[in-house]
Amino acid sequence: MTRLKLLTALVACILVLAACGGAPPAAAPTTAPEPTQASQAPEATAAPAEPAATATAAPISTGPLAEVPRNRTLILGWSITSPIGVTNPWAVPGYTHQEGNVFMWEPLMYYGIFSDQYIPWLAESMEYTNDDFTALEIKLNPAARWSDGEPVTSEDVVYTFEGQMTNDKLPYHASFDQFVESVEAVDDLTVNVTFKIPAPRFKFEVLTLKFDTGIPIVPEHALSAQPDVNAYPGGTEIPHSGPYKLVAWDANQKIYDLRPDWWAVEAGVSPKPEVERIVIFNIGGQVGQNMDTVVQRLVNNEFDSILDVRSSVAANILANNPAVTTHTGNNPPYGYLDWWPNSLWVNTQLEPYSDPNVRKAISLAIDRDTIDEIIYEGAQITTIFPFPLYPGLQAFVDTPEVQALIQEYNPREFNPEKSAELMTAAGFTQNGDGLWEKDGATVNMTIHGFEGIHSDIVPVLVEMLRNAGFDASINFGTDAYQNMADGKPGAYMFGHGASLLDPYAAFELFHSRYSAAVGTSAGNNRFSRYNNPEYDAILDQMAPLSAEDPRFQELAVQALEIYWRDQIDIPIIQWLHRIPYNQTYWTNWPTADNLAGGTNGAFWAHTGLIVVTQLKATQ
Amino acid sequence: MATVTAVPQPQFRQPGRARLLIGYLRRNLSLLIGLVMLAGLVLFTLIGLLTIDPKDAYPLSVPTRRPPSLEYPFGTDFFGRDLYAAMVVGLWQTALIGVLAGAIGTFIGTVLGFVSAYFGGWVDNTIKGICQILTPIPVLLIQIVIAGSLDKRYVTIYTMALIVVLLAWMGPTLVIRSQVLSMKERQFVAVAKLSGVSEWEIIFKEILPNLLPFIAAAFVAQVFSAMIASFYLAVLGLGPLREPLLGNIIWAAQSQGAFFNGWWWWPIIPSVAIVLILGSLALINMGLDELANPRVRRTE
Amino acid sequence: MKPVFLIKRFLFLILVIWSAATITFFIPRLSPRNPIRERFVELARMGGFSPADLEQIVASYSQRFGLDKPLYQQYFDYMSAVFRFDFGVSLNKFPKTTVELIMEALPWTIGLLLATTIIAFVLGNLLGAVAAWPKAPNWLRATATPFVLLMGVPPVIMGVLLLFFIGFRLKLLPLGGAYSIGTVPTFTLEFVLDAARHQILPALALILGSVGGWVLSMRGMGVTIQGEDYVTFAEHKGLGPFTIFRDYYLRNALLPQATGLVLALGAVVTNGIVVESIFGLPGVGRVLDQAIRSNDFIVIYGIVLFITIAVATLMVAVELLYPLLDPRIKLD
Repeated sequence: MTRLKLLTALVACILVLAACGGAPPAAAPTTAPEPTQASQAPEATAAPAEPAATATAAPISTGPLAEVPRNRTLILGWSITSPIGVTNPWAVPGYTHQEGNVFMWEPLMYYGIFSDQYIPWLAESMEYTNDDFTALEIKLNPAARWSDGEPVTSEDVVYTFEGQMTNDKLPYHASFDQFVESVEAVDDLTVNVTFKIPAPRFKFEVLTLKFDTGIPIVPEHALSAQPDVNAYPGGTEIPHSGPYKLVAWDANQKIYDLRPDWWAVEAGVSPKPEVERIVIFNIGGQVGQNMDTVVQRLVNNEFDSILDVRSSVAANILANNPAVTTHTGNNPPYGYLDWWPNSLWVNTQLEPYSDPNVRKAISLAIDRDTIDEIIYEGAQITTIFPFPLYPGLQAFVDTPEVQALIQEYNPREFNPEKSAELMTAAGFTQNGDGLWEKDGATVNMTIHGFEGIHSDIVPVLVEMLRNAGFDASINFGTDAYQNMADGKPGAYMFGHGASLLDPYAAFELFHSRYSAAVGTSAGNNRFSRYNNPEYDAILDQMAPLSAEDPRFQELAVQALEIYWRDQIDIPIIQWLHRIPYNQTYWTNWPTADNLAGGTNGAFWAHTGLIVVTQLKATQ
Repeated sequence: MATVTAVPQPQFRQPGRARLLIGYLRRNLSLLIGLVMLAGLVLFTLIGLLTIDPKDAYPLSVPTRRPPSLEYPFGTDFFGRDLYAAMVVGLWQTALIGVLAGAIGTFIGTVLGFVSAYFGGWVDNTIKGICQILTPIPVLLIQIVIAGSLDKRYVTIYTMALIVVLLAWMGPTLVIRSQVLSMKERQFVAVAKLSGVSEWEIIFKEILPNLLPFIAAAFVAQVFSAMIASFYLAVLGLGPLREPLLGNIIWAAQSQGAFFNGWWWWPIIPSVAIVLILGSLALINMGLDELANPRVRRTE
Repeated sequence: MKPVFLIKRFLFLILVIWSAATITFFIPRLSPRNPIRERFVELARMGGFSPADLEQIVASYSQRFGLDKPLYQQYFDYMSAVFRFDFGVSLNKFPKTTVELIMEALPWTIGLLLATTIIAFVLGNLLGAVAAWPKAPNWLRATATPFVLLMGVPPVIMGVLLLFFIGFRLKLLPLGGAYSIGTVPTFTLEFVLDAARHQILPALALILGSVGGWVLSMRGMGVTIQGEDYVTFAEHKGLGPFTIFRDYYLRNALLPQATGLVLALGAVVTNGIVVESIFGLPGVGRVLDQAIRSNDFIVIYGIVLFITIAVATLMVAVELLYPLLDPRIKLD
């Protein structure tokens, strides 16, 4: 028997042995409030010209957590992939607003897509002061304060803008460079911006936060002290103006606690937030993976909201938990229109996609009615436009001119015979496998996409394309996005995050300014590398015009005609956010029937802060 | 001189081979059950291949999301695959990967094991050493990385088999090597050597036939592990996604939230299929083990 | 034991590490993909910034990782780093090192694998010995059968099925995670119980499928022992059936079974990794899963190396311990 004991002990030793190296028990940042790891890692922060965002070496926390009951806690399910400890909006690459950092940072103004109006925030007003949109005056809210008690002043705004102008690593450097002549602080609360060229959309596109675009204001007094603002992670100590403070972040979750001294309550900008703690639980993988258990946990009231779900999943969540609702309540399509309509993009500089007839043939192979029926249970989700049909854009689409274009080009047409004719005309022949072939090469239609969000639609597209003779397959690999940016052969399933009010921003994605040569990387949403001087001329005329200008409408119709005539990309679906809102602990989510803060309900988008601060506790 | 009279031969009734086999199988129950299960799966595939349209195993072929019924005995999935057709084609493809990878692995292993044991010396030390050194490496992880870095157009049933076999020939090599080693010492080989039989004749006429049960056992074990490896790759979404491989179907069901949506048949049916196929192989392997190592033969 | 033997074993270890490191050095360099670039393009997308200076960032990073040096130099640097137990800096979780990531996750993995392996090993061997022992009552012998049948169920399927039936349908146990949402690990009874509850399903997924293997090998050995003269002799000597069971069946099978355990370690770790990702446990499997999904090849290969070294070391350790298990064995 001693042998048996010995053996058991041996097995134990064996397995413990593997642990030697003295691993501390998993993340126990408990006993005493320690200085955060971030401040202990000078080599990470001080290294000059460190090109990437630096994170801390371990999970971070500000000490033991205060007790917050479940009915004052908001639990959100999301895939956290950014480096631990990065909260500084200027830490690039590495910063993202999507994983809870929206609760720390505030803009001059928000835009409420459903209330269709600007929501003044750090700024009380922001107005163009002349008719040709070349001067803008910003007046700040005098009550605005950073979390360390310092006031938010025009100095911070000037620092933020000038940073974007001079620091080419920052996301809006190109826009500032293109438009902004100078930024000037008139007094503590007033900033004047002068533009090089008319900039009628700058206030909305750049200075206003909505969806995933726009810039927040950063604290001058904290960042100017950093040797390299792009390398400073921020951690828990960076002063911020938003109501929630990061208190813990490890591999499983990020926890934010409410600051009782948030300026906006006293200033009357926001109601007093009832959510005292936000836990963003890391559901792992990429966004959209492991959904089975995630949705079940929402049904079990473990989560208050999660990222958007598939149509059928939404219906089943509603059936399983009556406390859960969606944007459209219990009715399909359970969601609201996002600004990210997806196309199959191709690199228009690359054979054989450079032939508009081939692109047209691809579009003719896609049966959009069947997609609606199979994937969206009959809801009309497929689209023929590169922009979402929000009111302003719907009005544009409803004009007789656009309707005439639809008649003329019939961009929704599904017609395999016509597709075959175009391919034959383009010099292709069908090989033994029924695939189009030219000079021994089939049409590579590997669809690059993202498993979490595209695993329903892409297999169907592949089948449709194969049936029409295109050599289609699926790539959900980690290189998918890079292949899009690099313009690799194949088709890219990706959205156009651009237009909200008028079609200009979407059309601008195809301006030859962005048609980088093959071999260089293309910017976000600029994968088509389309190059057409005729098209550029139209866009350049549109740029200085406001959307109300009749000439703008005329030009927009011309641009849309070229989009369809040349089939720059192949529009497939509108993007819907079907976000389940659990009302067990929290109500007043923004829905079709309840405006709440006037924004869309995505807690990960820039307006997520407004969603959260408007929530009402049920208990 | 004594006359030689013809003595009538005693009438031994040699039992027929089939009877012997049946008798043996009755004693070796695991082999019997395993073979029956495997035969059932083969039959299912054969009958299936005759009765289905292989096109139905691919998306957009039949109405979507139907639970099992008379028309669709295994139901249909979200993408409009007939799961019955998908199982027929998928079982065949899954088996193909396993058999292909198993055969290549066993072949490499047999050759290397033979060479190693028969020639001995530094050859043996090198081959044995390489096998032992490669054994602790977590092969599956390396296979995952290789599969993940391939251009998706080149991920096919055949490349899957090659990826799987790439680092999985060490097992058979070591097994065959040790068997050849022990056989070399047996009397019949020594006798053959003394009577001047050439080396090649010894290898092919004396040793190889005696090795067959071991090669068979190694082959089955190899098919088993190749199937598990390719199954893992497919479940992770690293296989040829369009093909109805069992692992792919489970991957697709998982990514569409099949359990939560109540489409239980979609992930369950391929799961049952893979359990049956792996189970039958495990039982056969166990049975062959008894055959190859008589000491383990059951007493009852 | 002789020093020559020790040296041989040590050399073996070195060779294992060297060959694993060579494989992990060359595979990513044979692939046409550039994971560093992939990662930064992805970060650029998340941050919404224009990747105008991306190539510059990538180049500077490649330099940091030494990817601009000649291949033989890179190989040499890599090897020397590996033997210093430095597996590089994570691409995805920069500037964390692979070793830091592994060490943070390791306690969870060890906890789960240690417990499940011991339970499966002990249970399997007992059941296997019982199954081969003619004196055992039939019902006891029959308990081994279901475990043998479960062998054909890969842990990934087992995990999903358990999750579905026990987690989803019966709602008996948590659906994932290592502890409840919103709690932070502490050494309180409450937390430990909460964490333990979260480990039950993953543990079952690992145990149920692996008991059968031990049952079979133990039974095989038991059957062999049964025919041995010393067992017959012991029976005639009048030793009690339990004593025979313990001293003859179990003890004799111990050594080969221990060897089997070591050989199974690779599979134990692989299965553990799969189950951890299904249940979202913060162990090494999750680190690996995330590394695979973000193509963080430095972490992937760091973990491959780590597992290789751990398994090889354990193999050697057990070999050295053989004489303790069986006095007849001398190491030379």
